[in-house]
Amino acid sequence: MEFNIDTPEQDEKTLRRVQVRFVTKLKAPLKVPNTSIAIPSNLTRFGLSSVVNNLLQSVNPEWKSEPFDFLINGELVRMSLEQFLLAKGISAEKVLEIEYIKAVVPQKEEEPCLHDDWVSAVDGSHPGFILTGSYDSLGRVWKAAGSCTHILEGHSGAVSSIRFLKSDGMKNDTVATASKDQTLRLWKFAAEDLINHPKKISAFKILRGHKASVQSIAAHTSGDMICSGSWDCTINLWQTNESDAEGDQVSTKKRKVNNQAEESQFEGEAVSTLVGHTQCVSSVVWPQHETIYSASWDHSVRRWDVETGKDVSDIFCGKVLNCIGVGGEGSALIAAGGSDPILRIWDPRKPGTSAPVFQFSSHNSWISACKWHDNSWFHLISASYDGKVMLWDLRTAWPLAVIDSHKDKVLCADWWRSDSVISGGVDSKLCISSGMSIQ
Amino acid sequence: MDDNLASASLKRTRMRAGKTVSVEATSPKKKNNNNDKKKKKQNQTEKKDDQNLLKKTIKSANSVQTENDASHKIQELEQQQNTTQELSATDSDSDSDYQVFSEDEVSEDYESLRQSEDGESESSGDEVHGSYDDLNNDNDAGHEDQSDGSESHQGVEESDSSEDEVAPRNTIGDVPLEWYQDEKHIGYDISGKKITKKERQDKLASFLASVDDSKNWRKIYDEYNDEEVELTKEETKIIRRLLKGKAPHSDFDPYADYVDWFKYEDSLHPLSNAPEPKRRFIPSKWESKKVLRYVRAIRKGLIKFDEPKEEEPRFYLMWGDDSSTAEKANRLSYIPAPKSKLPGHEESYNPSLEYIPTQEELNSYQLMYDEDRPKFIPKRFTSFRSIPSYENAVKESFERCMDLYLCPRVRKKRINIDPETLKPKLPSRKDLKPYPATCYLEYKGHKGAVMSISTEASGQWIASGSTDGTVRIWEVESGRCLRVWEIGEPVHCVAWNPSPELPVLAASAGQDVVLLNTGFGNEERKRVGKLLQVETHTASDDSDNMASIVSWLQDDKLGGIRLRHFKTVTSVDWHRKGDYLSTVMPADILFSVYLIFTVFVYSFLSMDHGRFSYF
Repeated sequence: MEFNIDTPEQDEKTLRRVQVRFVTKLKAPLKVPNTSIAIPSNLTRFGLSSVVNNLLQSVNPEWKSEPFDFLINGELVRMSLEQFLLAKGISAEKVLEIEYIKAVVPQKEEEPCLHDDWVSAVDGSHPGFILTGSYDSLGRVWKAAGSCTHILEGHSGAVSSIRFLKSDGMKNDTVATASKDQTLRLWKFAAEDLINHPKKISAFKILRGHKASVQSIAAHTSGDMICSGSWDCTINLWQTNESDAEGDQVSTKKRKVNNQAEESQFEGEAVSTLVGHTQCVSSVVWPQHETIYSASWDHSVRRWDVETGKDVSDIFCGKVLNCIGVGGEGSALIAAGGSDPILRIWDPRKPGTSAPVFQFSSHNSWISACKWHDNSWFHLISASYDGKVMLWDLRTAWPLAVIDSHKDKVLCADWWRSDSVISGGVDSKLCISSGMSIQ
Repeated sequence: MDDNLASASLKRTRMRAGKTVSVEATSPKKKNNNNDKKKKKQNQTEKKDDQNLLKKTIKSANSVQTENDASHKIQELEQQQNTTQELSATDSDSDSDYQVFSEDEVSEDYESLRQSEDGESESSGDEVHGSYDDLNNDNDAGHEDQSDGSESHQGVEESDSSEDEVAPRNTIGDVPLEWYQDEKHIGYDISGKKITKKERQDKLASFLASVDDSKNWRKIYDEYNDEEVELTKEETKIIRRLLKGKAPHSDFDPYADYVDWFKYEDSLHPLSNAPEPKRRFIPSKWESKKVLRYVRAIRKGLIKFDEPKEEEPRFYLMWGDDSSTAEKANRLSYIPAPKSKLPGHEESYNPSLEYIPTQEELNSYQLMYDEDRPKFIPKRFTSFRSIPSYENAVKESFERCMDLYLCPRVRKKRINIDPETLKPKLPSRKDLKPYPATCYLEYKGHKGAVMSISTEASGQWIASGSTDGTVRIWEVESGRCLRVWEIGEPVHCVAWNPSPELPVLAASAGQDVVLLNTGFGNEERKRVGKLLQVETHTASDDSDNMASIVSWLQDDKLGGIRLRHFKTVTSVDWHRKGDYLSTVMPADILFSVYLIFTVFVYSFLSMDHGRFSYF
């Protein structure tokens, strides 16, 4: 085998060997024989991966080599094996059990989708399309890389946030956008339409009520309610139903008089307002039915009870926060990034949670977005103004992958189809990195 | 004397037996076994004669019974005397001597006991009558006879048996017997008659009698009843035991086992069948409380155990520096004067040769400085007489006085402070982050130097003025330039209106101050647009002075108002509430050395009136 050929060339006295056994939870073709072998201790992840690939090749001659990642005692191996064992104080005398998983690395960089202006918002929560918002005050729907199907036209300010809400039985999908023109708009389109030229659509409902730019929106899991955080320090809750209030008709009539061609539009008012932040609410998430998490420029992360409208708990960070993500183990971990290059993760279940449980500091500039993977407890991405999107695993302090496809600041990032990372930035591109295998 | 002790103890035994017997101390005599028999026999014959005579007289005076009694009495007394004599002899003698004596005594006693049983019938009653007095005189002879004769055994017997039954004959009670010393009688019998004293035997006769009488050692004299009593064998035994300090009765065990009458373990019916109470098994609460109280007191130091006292030394260092002892004293701080140097060997009138400096040393002294030169140069003198007076005495004593006088005798109080602690604590460099070290965001777009920036009230926007003649508005979070105004002249100063309702930007460029409508917000944009309309004729109407200073012009290109001043405006600022703005124009530099600032305050009233007015 390859690694066996390599070793005799080196000085055997200086080379230490470690007895290891490779185990995995992967399915049959990826399983290696469950016997312990001696490998040189200076192997890194790449070396270990080649060992496993060699082993798999010895079983199955048609095996195409694949990158693997390796876990020892629940931590990913990132240094050479010897250094790792020394650092963690693991005895090399016993047979070491190394679990291998498929390496989470973007395999393919898709063709970037070009916009007219900075891409300020992306959403990949629907597997069928990607939603983007841009500083040209338009929202866009992308079928795949490079194919724009719909253009959401109507905002007078940059679209700061866009979110897919729900798709009803008629295959109509509802989307909400927030803009710096202080409004939120709800849109409806049929995603299945196959059009060569992007179709312009307008909002069916305008939600007014914020007194300053709306920074972020989050949708309830059912899609019937959305909440929005704004520069006026409040979080507003909105109904997304198509017809609810009578007052809407007035505006509709007026608009009809003014502009005959325009479709009828409803207007909505906020159902309730959550007051408590003292500065701009930069990011909101609504992971559970009852709870809204918000991050603010007043350095705090707050948890709101939707029923009572009170904030239940605070975490103070000391930095302006730009983004928040809730997920991880039991979808309870809070990740937030802001005006410094450190991505912090808190565990609010721990008593005395003022200190973050994880701090990832590989970025060079402010963090603009962070998102947890939907299904994995360990993976999250973060986007930064240094133009990089990093893929993190909680089991190691180093990023799993650095997506460096942007030329300038990255303003937004999200997961798509649970194996791709989409990101938009100042270079007006929507980059899609796909091919990650996250179990 | 030992006899006193013996008599006292005897008296006690007698009283126990119900009789008061006083033992007359007779002279101690050694028992002489080798008394010649001849003398004895001669005595016996004499005594027999006497007895016969005695018997006759008794018969004549009293009844037969009384005569019998009397004779018994006499015998008894005789025997008693013997006993005391022999007893005292044994007392003074060694034990071995007594042993030998008592052995042959026992055989004799047994004989007498057997014989006495024969004559028992004769003895009955022990009445002493007044006629007894008469007998006393001739009793003496009879005494001796009976000691050997058969009647003496009766007496022994009688003293044993009858004494317990007979009440004391003398009835005077427990009074000092000296009262009767000079009387003829010793007391009164039960019928109130006087008991006359017996005639005392002369010493020699009694001695001789006692020598002959083998039982004499057991006889004691009863002063109370004025008679001689012979002690029985048992009584002597009791006396012996008493003398040894033992219990009088041999069958009395002083160390008998203790009988626990209340013990019930093995008895069927114990005194109490109640089960043991619980309190016998649990530790006492009150005791533990008491112990706790003591423990607490000890811990608090209320109870102090005797600590070995530190012994102060009885001596002290006489020539030692007593500053340390002065510090110990709790009084006003006393600083003792420095001690002068004590004289050593070199100061001696005749020091050893090694102390005497040689001529070379003396020469070297001359070369030294005055301060270094030794003050005293040792010299040798043959005798005290030859020592001259010390030439430096006055000088040195004066110096000493000056030393004492000038010595600073004040204790300086100095607080011991570490100078390091007085330094202000510098924060660690990690905490010092007020000045950003890294550049995170750049707002790119200006082509000239940026002269001024200003942030909007909420902090969302930044306005900047540059020498390239543009005013730009930036989004803080992303660095995006939202709007650009081409003013045309280098912009010196920009200022946001602090009021969030009026997003108006003031920028100074050259001689102009431009009020710009930033266009943020929906309602605000319209209102501000309406506000920033200037009717040109209102400006011309105003007073000449003000009009010459500033003129209000509408700038349609920029969508705002242009305030034209007559001089260059360097700075613009808003009132905190956003109603007024002020501009600063430095006066012409050519004319004045000092920069004279002219400040104009414009009223920015008019949200209601819909226009600007100024003063």
